[in-house]
Order: sequence, then structure tokens, then C-alpha cells
Amino acid sequence: MKEIKGFKMDFNFSEHQNMLRNEARRFLTKECPKTKVKELEKDEKGYDSVVWRHMAEMGWMGLVLPEEYGGLNADFIDLMVLMEEMGRNILPGPFFSTVALCALPILEYGNDSQKAEYLAPIGRGEKIWTLAMTESSGEYRASAIKAEVKLEGGEYVLNGDKFFVSYANVADYLLVIARTVKSKAPEKGLTFFIVDAKKPGIHIETIPTLTGEKQSRVSFKNVKIPGKDILGKVGQGWEMAEYIMRKAAVLKCAEVSGACQAILDMANTYAKERIQFGKPIGSFQVIQHQLVDMLIDVEGLQYLVYQAAWLISIGAPCDIQIAMTKAKANEVYRRIALSGIKIHGAIGFTMDHDIGLYYRRVLGAEFVLGDTDMYLEKVAANLGL
Amino acid sequence: MDFKLSEKEDALREEIRRFAKAEIPPDFVSNFLDEESRDEDWAFTMSISKKLAQKGWLVMAWPKKYGGQEASYLEQMVLVMEATYWGIPGLGMGISGTAWVGPSLMLYGNEEQRQKYLPPIASGDPDGVWCTGYSEPNAGSDFANIQTRAVREGDEYVVNGQKVWTSCAHRARWCWIAVVTDANAPKKTHGISLLIVDMKSPGVTVRPLLNYTGVHIFNEVFFDNVRVPAANLVGQENRGWYQLMQSLAYERHSVGAQIYGAGKRMLESLVEYVVETKQDGVSLSQNPVIRHKLSERAIELETLKMLSYEIAWKMSQGVIPIYEASRNKAYGDCLQERMANTGTEILGAYSQIDQNSRFAKLKGTIQHLYLLFPGITIAAGTDEIEKNIIGQFKLGLPKSY
Repeated sequence: MKEIKGFKMDFNFSEHQNMLRNEARRFLTKECPKTKVKELEKDEKGYDSVVWRHMAEMGWMGLVLPEEYGGLNADFIDLMVLMEEMGRNILPGPFFSTVALCALPILEYGNDSQKAEYLAPIGRGEKIWTLAMTESSGEYRASAIKAEVKLEGGEYVLNGDKFFVSYANVADYLLVIARTVKSKAPEKGLTFFIVDAKKPGIHIETIPTLTGEKQSRVSFKNVKIPGKDILGKVGQGWEMAEYIMRKAAVLKCAEVSGACQAILDMANTYAKERIQFGKPIGSFQVIQHQLVDMLIDVEGLQYLVYQAAWLISIGAPCDIQIAMTKAKANEVYRRIALSGIKIHGAIGFTMDHDIGLYYRRVLGAEFVLGDTDMYLEKVAANLGL
Repeated sequence: MDFKLSEKEDALREEIRRFAKAEIPPDFVSNFLDEESRDEDWAFTMSISKKLAQKGWLVMAWPKKYGGQEASYLEQMVLVMEATYWGIPGLGMGISGTAWVGPSLMLYGNEEQRQKYLPPIASGDPDGVWCTGYSEPNAGSDFANIQTRAVREGDEYVVNGQKVWTSCAHRARWCWIAVVTDANAPKKTHGISLLIVDMKSPGVTVRPLLNYTGVHIFNEVFFDNVRVPAANLVGQENRGWYQLMQSLAYERHSVGAQIYGAGKRMLESLVEYVVETKQDGVSLSQNPVIRHKLSERAIELETLKMLSYEIAWKMSQGVIPIYEASRNKAYGDCLQERMANTGTEILGAYSQIDQNSRFAKLKGTIQHLYLLFPGITIAAGTDEIEKNIIGQFKLGLPKSY
């Protein structure tokens, strides 16, 4: 009963995507082993510049950039595959902030000279970028954005504090969203600015985190920005923020999906090796069924991520699918990371073992780009509630 | 990678919608499996089966020579989702024939058997209604412990024993039965065979078992010196267990799609209900707890949809979806339980009202699901058994029992 005809749906990755995945897995396993991840947790910069350079040489930073900017012009699904592998290996560093949070919106909303000036150096791995959006509330609602920009004598002047800015400690540029016009509707009057991180008036303070992954508080005091450094149009900020959140959320979910698969693989291997009561603990149903629950969670999450990435790649509307995917990723990552620890027992609670590295990373992934409640609300609105 | 339904599948969905509007009375409530209980419900269901057969939908993925359309598994999956969404009964004709007896005969039956048994199933004929004799009083989850014996005597097998929880036995013309043919086999699983038993044979007795709502879905079936032609052996003697593993994958593979279709409809009806229902002038839909619960159910449905499509896709690649079918069954069961809980919590006190009462909300579908899902969770393999299968077949874990 084999048949193929008329079957358009395809769950396979392309040969090229499989090659990319294999290449990424080989490279990250070799160049960024867990010993390095642990070292980097204590490192001031929070990433390895040699690994970073190699990643750039392999074309990862420019993966989805057009050829004219030195990129490989690859598909969004390719980037999703890469993020899955980075998540699997919990690669620390500013890849996500540079590519997902900044390169993609520059490509979409930048004018020709901005694209020419900024994209190629990103692709070459020479410049690190990050998004300065959230403030003291840590929330991704428009009303949470209080930083202000005023036009004074032909120049824009930025004042305010941004919080939870990822890898600002090493960033060359900040993509800052701020209020240019006060308005009753919080979504109105927001604008994006490209800001050189070394400008006078910028103060960056690292926030210690559970993982050593870098987050910062960035204060802007009378920072002067020329009009040419507006990204997109004045007042277009919230539309652009939503654009960033949509794509970046899917990529973050891919990272989570890779991490979840890694946890399952580790726990499954351990359950076969660890002997208690004279048997591998994986032969006990309580352990076995926990592993199966993890598998069902992982596969469900993967397919939601793949569907969302595919919808983005073909340019189809997919707000509800993205919201569903992020809410699911948040829930699944917590559950799987905990199960992973439990199956390992006490060894899972130690610094010697790698499984705890994942558990500590859950919260950073969960609250970036919006928490579960925010995404459940988006789903509810889409359902007509 | 491509998750788009083609125009063909979209057109099929549209056609099914039209069929539902034309053939299903607006006040009809599809209570899954209950149709086997009352004669008039069964007659209506079989009349729809006939019409589905005429549309070419009953067994659309089968080869044309056996009455199918050679449609893709994806089209079949879309059909199941859409038909359950609209509450169209009759796709299963009972449940056995279209879903797993037919595919199993195509996998390991002989040509003579296919010619004889497949066309009545494909045409929605009463002679195409099957029941399945697996479980016995001492062989539930421990299915290999069956005791029903079949002893070869010349050109016949003589069958003695008892089956239980046999859905549709009181409607079926044929029984697809697992029997012990070698009681001395070194392992129980090496002595099991599959037979086809004519339910009209002398020595077959069907005794109703009512479920806890008083509905007659399943039965006890007794076999007392029932003589079965040797030609009714399916596949190889004593290889039945291994053949069955494949049949069970077929049995379970579309469970997810059924739950998805019915669940999507239920979610929509709950959304409509909470939007329209007001407390102190405020719509229930403004309650954040309700909003989030319904959103969570929507996410689970979306997940089940993708897992269902994945199975159809894998089958199109020639894969027999053993762990995948168990996965979708286990996940679907979990979803139904949550849907029933969310639904009853939203209806509140109204969820305790009898389905047929004029006071019942949403045609009593919520309480029907609440009453049905525990049974569905157990049928075709408990969640625990599904998880054992997944642990063994997918995760490569040691046998846990």
C-alpha cells in the first residue's frame, strides 16, 4: 500500500539542511564541549572569540543574509536547524542577539546604506549586536517601553534604562526601541534607533544570571543620535518589534527544542547504563514512562517549531502558530529539564554532570520574548476570545 | 519541508462539509461508539456508511481492485479529521473492518481472502462489519496470555474459549480473532495465530456487556467447539503475534486524527459558549483562567494535528507506524481528558445534566466526552501499555514487565 502521488506534505529536511545540521553538530561537539560551556559561565565576555570566528568562517552569521552582503542567502528553516543544534549544545554567546534580534530586522527595515554598512560586518563576525527593548518590568508589552527620545536641535536625544539586554557587555551596536511621541495607545509613537554602544552617555552594567549568560542593564543619559540612524520609520517601532518577536520567538523555540532533545538523549542513555536493584533503571516502568512522556513532549514541540518556521519561510500569516509554539516550548522545557535531573538522581544535581546546565537555562529561555501568559493571551485572542 | 495541504485535500475537506450538511440532520449528535447500541442509531450509521462508500471515502487509501480510491494516507487522515469534526458517523462500520482488518489482510492475508472480505467492507455492506477478538478475562494488557484454543482437525480449526470487551460483536458478521494454536510453544508469543470466524457459525454466543452509562457497545463472546475452515487462517500459523503488532499500529494510527477532529469542534463550541454566556453582565470569555485553559487545549490540538500528519506522511514512505501510533493514542487520550475537564469546569453545574435533557448545554457533548474518555483511554491498549511500546520500540529500553 505504498503511494506517493499527490502527496505534497513533506516532513523531511533537505539534504542540504541535513548537512548543515551534521556540520553544526560536529563543530559544536568538538569546539564547544560542556567543559567549555562551564568555563564560559565564569568568563567576563561570556563567549569564545575563537569559536565565534570559526562560526563566521563557516558562514553561520551570514546564513540568511543575501549574497550582496556576503551572506549565503539561505532559508529561514536553515537558520532554525542551526539554532536547534546550538540549543542542543547550549552554545553560549551573542549569536541569537546579533542574528535573530538585529540582523533580521535590519535586513527587513534597513535602508540601502544601512544594510550596506551593517550587514556585511555581521556576516563576517566582526560586529556584535543586541536588542535593547525590555525595561525594568522585563515585559514585552508596548506599554512597558518608557525610554524616551526627544528631537533637540536637529538631533535625537535618548534617555532611559533598558534591562535584560542580552550580551550588551560585548556589543558593538545596540538596536534601541524608544518612545518618540507620547500617545494614549502605547503601541503608537515608538521608534527604533541604531546606537553605537561606545557612545558617551551609555552605561552598561552586567546583571549576574543563573547561567553566567550575559544580561545587562543599559542606561542612556542624553545620548545623541543622528537622524540617519533611525531604523525603519519614526513611529513604526511597535510593528517592527512584533516582527522581531515573531521570528526570534521561533528561533528561540528551536534552541529549546534542540536542548530538550539533548536532555532526552542524555537521560535515555543514563537509564540504560545506571544499574540499581540489579537492573538498568530504564527497565522500571516509572522511569520508562517518564522518558516516554519526555519523548512525546519533544516530538510535539519539534513539529510545532518546524511548522512555524516553515510558515515564516513561505511568508504565510502565522501569529497563532508562533504563540502556540512559544507557550509550548516554555512548558516543555521546564518539564523535560526537571525530568532529566530526576532520572539522573543525585549526580544530576552536581556541577560534575552536564544535565544541570540545561535546567539552569530554562528560565532565561522562558522569559525572553514574552512569558507563557503573554503567549496564551495571544492564542486566546486568535481563538476569538 | 512542506506542511501545506494540497488543493486536492482542501477540495476534499470542502466536499466533506457539503456531505455533512446534506446527509446529517442538524439535531443529530454524534456520540462516538454509542451508535452500536440502539437499532435505529445503527441503521442510520450503516446508511451513512453506504453513502460514504458511494462517495469513495470509506476506504479511500485502499487499492482500486479492493474497492478503494488509492488516495494518499494524508487524504485519508484529512477525511477522518473532517468527518469527526462534522460528527459524521459510519466511517468505522463498527470499528474493525475499515481501520485494521482490511489493511492487515493486505499486509499478510492471501489473495483469496482479500477478494472475499475486502469488497464488502469497501462497499459499506452489513457483511463488511467486523468485530475483533483480542481481550479475554485473563488477557487484558497481558494480551499474550490468551487461552482461547484453536485445534486443527483436517481442513478445520476447532475453536474453544471466551473473548471479552468485544465491541460491535452484536452487529458484526465476522470476527477477527487471536487464538492459541501451539500451547506448547517455548514462548507464548510463538503460539498465537489469527483466524477469521463467521459470527453465524454454530457455537458462537454473544452476551451483551453494558458500559457504565447503560450503553451496549461491547460484549462477551463465547466459542464452543466452533468449526472454522483452515482457509480462514490469516498469514502464518503461530506468527499471529508479530502480525498483530502491525495490525495494532493500524488500529491506533488514526486515533489521533479522530480525537483532533472531534476536539476541534468541541473547542469551537466552548469558545462560542463562553463568548455568549454572561455572568453579572460580563462574558465568561473575559475570565483569564478560562481564556488560558482554552488556549492550552488549542495548543494541544495543534500538536496532535502535526503528530497525525506525521504518521500519514511516514505511512506514505512505507513505514508501519508502531511507536508513532502508540504515541498519538497516548497523547490523544491525555488531550481528551483535559478537554473533558476544561469543558465540565466551564459548564459548571450544567455538566451533570443528562445529555438528552432540554436543560443540557452544547447538546450534552461535554458530559458525553467526560463519560466516554476513560473507556477510550483503555480501549486498544491502556496508556501504560502504549508507553511500554514506545519505551521499547522507540527509546530502546529494556522490557519492563
